[in-house]
Amino acid sequence: MDYDAIKITAGVVATIGLYSILYKENKFYRFFEHVFLGLAAGYTIVAQWKDTLYPQWWLKMFGQVADVDAATGAVTSPAVPGNWIYAAMLPIGLLAYLVFNRKHNWMSKIPIGVILGLWSGQQIQIWWNTWGPQIYSSMQPIIPTTFSTLSVPSTVEVVNGRVMPIQDPVALANVQQQLANNLYLTQALTNFIFVLTFASAFSYFIFSFELKGKFLTGINKFGRWMLMIGFGAIFGSTVMARFALVIDRMSYIVNEWVQALTQR
Amino acid sequence: MTIWEKMQKVDRRILYAILVVCVCVGLFFPTTIPTDPDPSSKSFYAEVMKLEKGSTVIIQTDWTNSTRGESMGHFENLMRLMMHGDHKFVFYSAADPAAPQVARTVLARIVAERKGQGLREYKVGEDYIDLGFFPNAEATNTTMGSNLRSVWANRKSKTPTGGEVDVWQTPVLKDVKNIGDVDMMIVVTASASIDVAIQRLAQKVPITAMVTGVTGPGVLPFYQSGQVKGLAIGLKGVYDVEYMMVNGINDVEVEGKKVVEWDKVGKVDRVNEGTTFSRGRAYYGTLHVALVLLILAVVMGNVAMFASRRRKGDAV
Repeated sequence: MDYDAIKITAGVVATIGLYSILYKENKFYRFFEHVFLGLAAGYTIVAQWKDTLYPQWWLKMFGQVADVDAATGAVTSPAVPGNWIYAAMLPIGLLAYLVFNRKHNWMSKIPIGVILGLWSGQQIQIWWNTWGPQIYSSMQPIIPTTFSTLSVPSTVEVVNGRVMPIQDPVALANVQQQLANNLYLTQALTNFIFVLTFASAFSYFIFSFELKGKFLTGINKFGRWMLMIGFGAIFGSTVMARFALVIDRMSYIVNEWVQALTQR
Repeated sequence: MTIWEKMQKVDRRILYAILVVCVCVGLFFPTTIPTDPDPSSKSFYAEVMKLEKGSTVIIQTDWTNSTRGESMGHFENLMRLMMHGDHKFVFYSAADPAAPQVARTVLARIVAERKGQGLREYKVGEDYIDLGFFPNAEATNTTMGSNLRSVWANRKSKTPTGGEVDVWQTPVLKDVKNIGDVDMMIVVTASASIDVAIQRLAQKVPITAMVTGVTGPGVLPFYQSGQVKGLAIGLKGVYDVEYMMVNGINDVEVEGKKVVEWDKVGKVDRVNEGTTFSRGRAYYGTLHVALVLLILAVVMGNVAMFASRRRKGDAV
């Protein structure tokens, strides 16, 4: 058995160990749970140093001399001057650990304050970048401007059995202009369903005053139904995702493992 | 105890065992199921395929083995599409320290697979760069938007000869000065790291995404508003992309009808080299088996519940 087969076999044993919890609580499961946690923690520590602290802090603090390819004489890595100010990062970061000291724990608030300040400063822009385009795209027209055709004119055509963009530039520009200037019935209907769902779901979260009357309570109820349908769809998607994980684990055992063993 | 009561008290371990057996059997019979890919998947495929040959792409890969069932299929498809288009790409993770290693493993397998098929071998440092892990997605993406050169400063890439070179001196990044010089950013994720990327970078570079079924519904509004240009969701998304790699969009015809039709774009080519149908096809049919089993269990449980209630009512 070569290294790859041993590696995959170890994965199979760990998979069975972790799934054994489905039968009942057991030490086999606990063992692999601890192995998994230990590996993840150990790997994270190494990755933090190798991928983060070393290139982004250590090298910037101490700098580095240029690397030159001995064969070609080309500089493969330029010299970087050290910058002593990066040394200040260490004590500032270590202050966070003073949270464990009763006398000096106030000092831990300094790095936390820096992080909170940076975070808060970004939030106005972040809020708009997240919701701005969505608010804008939710403002959709619902009254059709033309009934000349029910559906939207196509910008593609069939040429020799192939669907291609309209070849004649004048005809294409004409269709594009029609699309820009008009709202067709099917578009309006689609937009109406969207706006109705949006407004009713939104109204469900109005708690500032009591909704009275058949219309308002009806809209509110409709919004609740829409939300439930949405949650159902999300749950369905989640169930499929979980099944995909089981399928992959079984595939790992019946395909990859068996293949690794039989190819020797 | 009546048969109806017994049906409601089936030991869950028996259900698990039936599921495992059905899934394993399903895996032995990979099936091509005709499908109409989701519009978001079509957008994803069309956006990636319309990139000019040799484009530069940033890939943020934020998944690990915990979502291997969906994300590995996504990442494999993405690698095949990148290599088919001769695109240069960098990949890194801003969510999980283990993610770059998982991506490296898949990438190495796809490179070996293509080499075995007689296709061009992608080389580290020339065709792609492995940037490793960046903690704090918020800070990483913010800095990428304002000063890409500083956030990736001091990072080294391996070269095909086994040496090391500063990433900014590689053919992949030598012409890139800021994020605007990159043709596309693709986020493969199992978490909300896609939200962070959209918030900080969507106005500076076109973003597309490949996400899990759990994350997908939360990302769809970003697709609807155009903040994400294309989106492949879950195992269906994996299969959709594979299906379009085989059939293109408005391309392959069967009995005079396009296999995948979409009036939003013209013809989008299929991928006519290397592996196309792969993990998505292998898992998608099995997913149907598992879902049928689930629906059967729910229906039988409900029928049994109503039947036993009726019997109790009769007894009273």
